[in-house]
Amino acid sequence: MEREKRSKFLAQQGYLLTLLVRRNIKNQYYRSFIGILWTVLNPLLNMAVMAFVFSSIFGAGITNGLDYPLYILSGNIIFNIMRTSTTGSLPCLVQQQDMLQKTKVPIGLFPTANVLSSMVTFGFSFIALLIVALFRLAVGKYVFSWHIVLLLALLPAVMLFSLGLSYFLSALYVFFRDIEHIYSVILTLWTYLTPLFYTIDVLGNPTVTRFMSFNPMFHYVTYFRDILTGIVPSAWEHLVCYAFGIVAFVIGYLFMCIVRNKIAAKL
Amino acid sequence: MKKDKIPADGCLLEVNNVTMKFTKYEVGVDSLKELVVRAFKGDLKREKFVCLKNISFKIYKGEAVALIGRNGVGKSTLLKIVSGILKPTSGYAQSYGRISPLLQLGAGFDGNATGMENIYLNAAIMGYTKKEIDAKLKEILDFAELGDFIYSPVKTYSSGMLARLGFSIAINMEAEIMLIDEILAVGDMAFQKKCYDKLTELKAKGLTFLIVSHSDSVRDLCERAIWIERGRMVADGPSGDIFKRYTDVMMNPEKQH
Repeated sequence: MEREKRSKFLAQQGYLLTLLVRRNIKNQYYRSFIGILWTVLNPLLNMAVMAFVFSSIFGAGITNGLDYPLYILSGNIIFNIMRTSTTGSLPCLVQQQDMLQKTKVPIGLFPTANVLSSMVTFGFSFIALLIVALFRLAVGKYVFSWHIVLLLALLPAVMLFSLGLSYFLSALYVFFRDIEHIYSVILTLWTYLTPLFYTIDVLGNPTVTRFMSFNPMFHYVTYFRDILTGIVPSAWEHLVCYAFGIVAFVIGYLFMCIVRNKIAAKL
Repeated sequence: MKKDKIPADGCLLEVNNVTMKFTKYEVGVDSLKELVVRAFKGDLKREKFVCLKNISFKIYKGEAVALIGRNGVGKSTLLKIVSGILKPTSGYAQSYGRISPLLQLGAGFDGNATGMENIYLNAAIMGYTKKEIDAKLKEILDFAELGDFIYSPVKTYSSGMLARLGFSIAINMEAEIMLIDEILAVGDMAFQKKCYDKLTELKAKGLTFLIVSHSDSVRDLCERAIWIERGRMVADGPSGDIFKRYTDVMMNPEKQH
């Protein structure tokens, strides 16, 4: 009886979550002419611009064997999971304040929905990546390898990391509204501190390289590029990816639990 | 956690010795900058003010209770505590059944989504499964009388239409306890009448109500009233008496106490 009730509750929460995710994705490209197609086109166009701008500066040969357009695209779409999750989640509790003030609903669902929509967007971007890879294959610049399936091992870690950050930020934003501006600066800094369009070797600075290992996004991006190139990341690399993910998730979740009661009073 | 076994005496809602305090600090600071500036000024006194003090009552199955008192005495806060959104500083509120909150109608809709999508979203947030919503959909649509507008984005709705939709969702979903907060100023006369008729009908069906309002039509609906003044419970009894005393005090403030 008790168990049946619990599973019914979980099913209900799952249903609500799918509704929220669907709404997020719909709103993202609401009223745009080609709609959902933008999710594929957007990373493609971005990549084209970046490849055009940066290929002459950072260009060939130093990308550990990965073709430069793919190098840019792979880094960006992994980074974008975290970026869109957190920027979407940051104001999400405040945006839902009308609802949260009149109904008792687990608040964690809203940031979770944002992270899940980012995962869906990633799926579309991944299609874009495959299209580019096919084109590069045709001109002999890229070879597919089976390692690409290891993506399934990477995504849960990125997701946990994004969830943790999203929980933390959405709850914090309720109390400090200026976090929005601070976070957008941090995010810009983070984008440049992660080798998305440059390679770490180009910097040629051992201090930077050592410092880089504290950047979780660096590990996720590198992992993704390794499997695209056809390298199996080491066990240590797996450990690091999951350690960052789990630690972020636990901290974010605990923070949200601790301030949960204050959030309703504050909204 | 919510228990679902209804106690033998038929009590559906129990509010026991609830006290709610807010710190003024919590009300004031809402940016990091503000916090830093105040910390430097030494202005972080956490002054507490008591919003509700030692409120206790029980509501039994089938009762309709009006909650009255002047603006800002904590009636809405009390409703939020009852529905589990706010946690009281001390004491507890326990409900033995599903609660349908009719607070701030028309709020919480997603402007870009159609009325239909919002019905599902809203009801799902309130804790209903797809099956339950499907079953009630026809009643909700009939009651809201929005016609084909139900397939238009909600941001094109007038405030009256929003309120209709909100009210229809909240009132048609099956709940044992209805919490209603000053919603009766919405919609046109015809819709208001319809709302009251619906409330009366639901009351006849044995649903339990807790209503915040001042209007006379509520007095007819409720047989019991609870009067709150400055966070304290002043009186709890038959609605006719209490409304009369309350009106007296309101009309002649100097006679108070």
